[in-house]
Amino acid sequence: MRIFSKGKDISGRTIVVGCGRLGANLANTLSDGGGDVIIIDRNEESFRKLSSSFGGITVTGDATEMLVLERADIKKATAVISVTNNDNTNIMVAQLAKEHFGIGQVIARLYDPERDCVYREFAIDTICPAVLSTKEIDKLLGVPETEGESA
Amino acid sequence: MKKRVLLIGGFHKTRFLAVSLIKRGYHVSAINSNMDHCVALADIKELKVFHGDGSKPFILEDANAYDTEIAIALTGRDDDNLVICELCKKKFRVKKTVALVSDPKKTEFFYRMGIDSVVCAITAIAGIIEQQALLDEIAALVPVGKGHIRIAQVPISQTAPAANKKLWELSLPSDVIVGCVLRGDKSMIPRGDTRILAGDELLLISTDEHETAAVLELTGR
Repeated sequence: MRIFSKGKDISGRTIVVGCGRLGANLANTLSDGGGDVIIIDRNEESFRKLSSSFGGITVTGDATEMLVLERADIKKATAVISVTNNDNTNIMVAQLAKEHFGIGQVIARLYDPERDCVYREFAIDTICPAVLSTKEIDKLLGVPETEGESA
Repeated sequence: MKKRVLLIGGFHKTRFLAVSLIKRGYHVSAINSNMDHCVALADIKELKVFHGDGSKPFILEDANAYDTEIAIALTGRDDDNLVICELCKKKFRVKKTVALVSDPKKTEFFYRMGIDSVVCAITAIAGIIEQQALLDEIAALVPVGKGHIRIAQVPISQTAPAANKKLWELSLPSDVIVGCVLRGDKSMIPRGDTRILAGDELLLISTDEHETAAVLELTGR
């Protein structure tokens, strides 16, 4: 038994918060790659988006509640990825993970890039779909990348 | 200069607070994302009401968050209240931020995130209910220092074990102090040789865990 649990620690345990399209996809990919995955969503129905081969654990509950995060054994996680459809929820989950539970790698998806001053000082990685899309479209249009020249 | 207060979210609490703050001479603005609530809040004289999501920076800017001294987040969601206060603090340099929190376990975390004052409705209400339930032994209770230290007003009846005893004759827990003895219109700071009489009221300063034992020693209940 020891050997098994040791093997798991090396590969790392990822907690995904929010089982939407992105969350479910991410969880499936991580699980298929042999990772240890726990996915949290407050709606049990959302877990239907997971593929049948998903080998991780599902936890139903509001991830902004300490109890739910503790139930998902967050202290043992190596990475926490918050991708719910609510920016504020993602910010709070990320800050809880980083500051309260001391998780090394924390990633949050944020729709609104304007709130960056809130989490800039914490070492939280953020993914902003609007910014990514703009870059991609610019690339397709052949607009040369201009650094430091915004607005 | 009148101080400016910004209330974000909430309805009944916001209405009550706004009226009370305006009466004390504050400039009060409110942000609410519910249009009906905004219309109802706009009935309050001198209250400026803004419609929108208070966790969005441009809404806070519209509501003059830059000139605000105190921001109070009263929405029903902990995450919204956290982000609102962090925005107010970091982006708009608001001097004092107050957040309502529903999960008592998060109070510490909110303080660590730089919020100046965190109010947990559940612990506050539970405290009041407890006070009402224990009213026989305790006449009034004031929690201080995040609620771990409390000042209780304890009446001493004829039959209380502490009646007619000197303070040093009582075996009170070590984390408890009798700060004041109220006797009729007079009050005195007691010493070890002060005799407690029936009808006195004692002001007890204690940690919350030792209070019950102290009250039992004094009143027998």
